Amino acid sequence: MLISVEMPDSAEAAHASLQAGAVPLGGGTHLLTRMNDEAGPDLRVVSLRKAGLRGIDVDGDTVTLGAATTLADLEDDPRLGYLAGCVRSIASPPVRTLATVAGNLFVPQPYGDLAAALLALDAELDVLGTAGLRRERLERVVADGLPEGELVTRIRFTAPAPGTFRFHKASRRRLNSGSIVTVAARLTVEDGLVGDVRLVLGGLSRRLLRAAGAERVLRGAPLTAEVVAEAAGADVIEPFDDAYASAWYRARVYPVHLRRALLGA
Amino acid sequence: MPSTIVTLKLNGTERELIARPSTTLLSALRDTFGLTGAKRGCAQGGCGSCTVLLDGRPAVSCLIPVVTVDGCAVETVEGLADGDRLDDVQQAFVDHFATQCGFCTPGMIMSATALLNREPAPTRQDVTEAICGNVCRCTGYEPIVTAVLSAAESRRDGAAEGRHDSAAERRHDGAGERHRDAAAPLSGKAAG
Repeated sequence: MLISVEMPDSAEAAHASLQAGAVPLGGGTHLLTRMNDEAGPDLRVVSLRKAGLRGIDVDGDTVTLGAATTLADLEDDPRLGYLAGCVRSIASPPVRTLATVAGNLFVPQPYGDLAAALLALDAELDVLGTAGLRRERLERVVADGLPEGELVTRIRFTAPAPGTFRFHKASRRRLNSGSIVTVAARLTVEDGLVGDVRLVLGGLSRRLLRAAGAERVLRGAPLTAEVVAEAAGADVIEPFDDAYASAWYRARVYPVHLRRALLGA
Repeated sequence: MPSTIVTLKLNGTERELIARPSTTLLSALRDTFGLTGAKRGCAQGGCGSCTVLLDGRPAVSCLIPVVTVDGCAVETVEGLADGDRLDDVQQAFVDHFATQCGFCTPGMIMSATALLNREPAPTRQDVTEAICGNVCRCTGYEPIVTAVLSAAESRRDGAAEGRHDSAAERRHDGAGERHRDAAAPLSGKAAG
């Protein structure tokens, strides 16, 4: 049960509350489901709603998102059209009104599709800790997490060049469903050969997975069905059973969805 | 933490309540203000039966500690009708048999209202996406989609005939303001 809800008006004040043992509350679309469902421990939360952390800056090709920017804000912003397919694949409009960008980075799989996209874009985070503000690569935070009491304030990434970002999500229903397989990739093709590539998989392991093996297969190779099929076998995935799909099914359909993500067929 | 006073602009009228930290917006609406249109279904944000408009956008009120939305505008299904005169969306639900048991209907109507306030001429696909978070176990959805498309048409016809609907205009205006707010650049304060 929530025993206190603090409403700080700055990131620094929010951080101070976290240091004192409070839990961050973004949109509440994950935390409140647990509060409503379980007779869990008493929690002190600090809401980020009024902490000045909501907003979108686009400066050249550098995009900066405030941590408490909502998914609906992203959906509304025509400058972020390349993320629209990803964002609209997440939950439903009444949830996206509340859910925040930073919250999506910390939800367990098979959720966190925006985090998959941001990882493919090699996003960096501004993190407020006891030693002040520092930058962290999202990839490091996805792998290791953040110490309790630290606060993500901003997410920054380089906008992908037109046509270089791919996002594909397979789910039981076309809308409002958790992921069975999510593929997010930033990929360039020059003279018929794959150049730079970052490939991230969601839904296939308990954590988002950077598909380094697939990237090695793809880099410098022609983007053909044969090469993509080889790439699909190049990483160790540890799929899991849940209400959306069995581990077997996830593993079985992953190559199909990698192909659809990269070749569109 | 003691209870706190929360102010909401509820269906256009400023209202106050004393809320505990654990009080959700849904509880406040139903138990404090007696507005029982929004329903407690799953309490997980999954069924949409508690959907209201929060600053013009659809939101699942079961997942919102009400103290976090102090000062916000909240619209519920009770705010749509003008006395006994149903608004376009409500009337379309009646005309097209888009309600059976009725449990999902208030949330469904608020999601549809949010859509039409932003997109006066939605496609069938737009409607499907707008109501994808609202579960209906009775109708099979087809009458609902038809009703929303019909309501959109009624509104457009009304606008073309110059019919004056102050409530609808107020919602349109508010949505526009909020959109600009959301798109505002990050403040210097947030730079950290």
